[in-house]
Amino acid sequence: MKILVCLKQVPHQDARLDINESGSWIKEDGIKFEINSYDTYALEEGLRIKDAGEAEVVVASIGPDRVSQSLRTALGMGADRAVHLKDPEIGGSDALAIAKLLAAVAKEESPDLVLMGLMSDDANAASVPPMLAELIGVPSATGVMKLEIRDGGVRCERELEGGALEVVDMTTPCVVAVQTGINQVRYASLKGIMAAKKKPMDVKTAGDLGLAGQVGGAAAKVQIEKIYAPARGDGAEIIEGSTGEVVEKLVGKIKELGLL
Amino acid sequence: MGAILIVAEIQNGAIREASYELAALARKVAGSREVKSLVIGSGVSGEAEAFAKRGGGEVLTADQDALANYNVDGYAKAIRAAVDATSAELVLISNTPSGWDVAPRIAAGLDSGFVSDVFNIEEEDGKFVYFRRVFNGKLDARVIQNADQAVVTVQPGATNAFEGSTDGSVTALDVDLGELRAKFVEIKVAESKGVDLSKADVIVSGGRGVGKPEKFPEVIQPLADALGGAMGASRPVVDAGWLPHAYQVGSSGQVVTPKLYIAVGISGAIQHLVGMKGSNFIIAINKDADAPIFEVANVGVVADLFEVVPALTEAIKAAKG
Repeated sequence: MKILVCLKQVPHQDARLDINESGSWIKEDGIKFEINSYDTYALEEGLRIKDAGEAEVVVASIGPDRVSQSLRTALGMGADRAVHLKDPEIGGSDALAIAKLLAAVAKEESPDLVLMGLMSDDANAASVPPMLAELIGVPSATGVMKLEIRDGGVRCERELEGGALEVVDMTTPCVVAVQTGINQVRYASLKGIMAAKKKPMDVKTAGDLGLAGQVGGAAAKVQIEKIYAPARGDGAEIIEGSTGEVVEKLVGKIKELGLL
Repeated sequence: MGAILIVAEIQNGAIREASYELAALARKVAGSREVKSLVIGSGVSGEAEAFAKRGGGEVLTADQDALANYNVDGYAKAIRAAVDATSAELVLISNTPSGWDVAPRIAAGLDSGFVSDVFNIEEEDGKFVYFRRVFNGKLDARVIQNADQAVVTVQPGATNAFEGSTDGSVTALDVDLGELRAKFVEIKVAESKGVDLSKADVIVSGGRGVGKPEKFPEVIQPLADALGGAMGASRPVVDAGWLPHAYQVGSSGQVVTPKLYIAVGISGAIQHLVGMKGSNFIIAINKDADAPIFEVANVGVVADLFEVVPALTEAIKAAKG
């Protein structure tokens, strides 16, 4: 079985979010990056399927040089091979262009299963996985909390509101976008990290995938014009002071509620 | 100018509130564009009529046995057929579990623009401008459109529902479903495992900021106990396996409305806010002054929870005597 796991490298979840000069994104200099948390669950799911039987796990990611570190981490966790789409032309792409790039990789790899996270920690858009599935002409399921490989297909449990689960069967190949908490993500072992250095990592451009001129800001159908701190409205009454003072005021508020 | 197409959603045998929110939003930005709708399911003429009369406009129905339950293949085909039939310029879908499952596929199939989880749409000089949140609610984004057509999902509860009545029509839409590669099997209801937060007057919830699983029984539970309340948790805590799903407060956990909700070390991602913003009184304790939780809290403390919470627990016990 061949599994393609698509990862996105995102700012570390505790990174400082300072808005850049043009106001269109955050400043990326000087902050740490990591694999999108949702994608770590997707990678773990692929590695579990590999542990249970015969499967090759290929990881792919898009972005500048720093992305190779995330791909090496994935290889260290147990993935077999990496594909790094690195091309300045890709900058400013909308989700559809990203999906087109990954679809081109999928067409080359012909995986039985594509695993990705439901959304990214930065854009929170949850767009690419179903788009990718549509572009390669396969079914998809998002928000998956349980994945079972069966003859000729998969059975997924999709998370619904209130924690209910929708059980759906799909034929393979298919795209599964996992929800956080589907599994417990492993750490790369020291042995795995050492082995990762020798695993293959192919670097490709948009042109290599036949998509020159179809990606990037110029081709984007939608784009973020500005990001900004939300208008702070009234929000909370912030209580300040020493711990003792703060606690006294909180007890006062709780008393006013009639709960003491 | 093309039409605006609303894809309505049925829940428990009725058009859900989020669909009426789409109707109001569509009419706000429509200008001279027509507003049309699609209702999908099996035996849905009643729901379609109801929607036509309250904001749906010209309602198309994709009404077949195979569409009785959501499935990505069938629903994608029905929506695409409706987009083509109405020459829709803008397709509005609620950002619900089925919405976020199918909407991106529609956009990819159309090679159109796609914007997800918007909390507002404005029309400026004949073009649509979209507003959504990024970085788990910490920043807002203004998104512009360069394409002629876009599919957009809208956050449920973010905008007002259409009130009033309209004259609408209901017309059947023929959709050739062909072979469906996805099949609905069943719905599994969430198990409560004896933790029913809906009845608690006080809930003290811990988030990722609590740091370690043992800190829940050591720090969070004692405060809940002192207040005679229940302990809850945000999603990352449950994902990490620190507490079972039964404790999760949020859109995919429990939605609670206690007299007092104390959020400890919780940043306030939208999925969590959906679960607790209806609480009567909210106290938030978090060391990050920019945490979105402070927007919905009544009272906030920007401090180390390990200093404040144990001290608060002792003070509550002392006050109760």
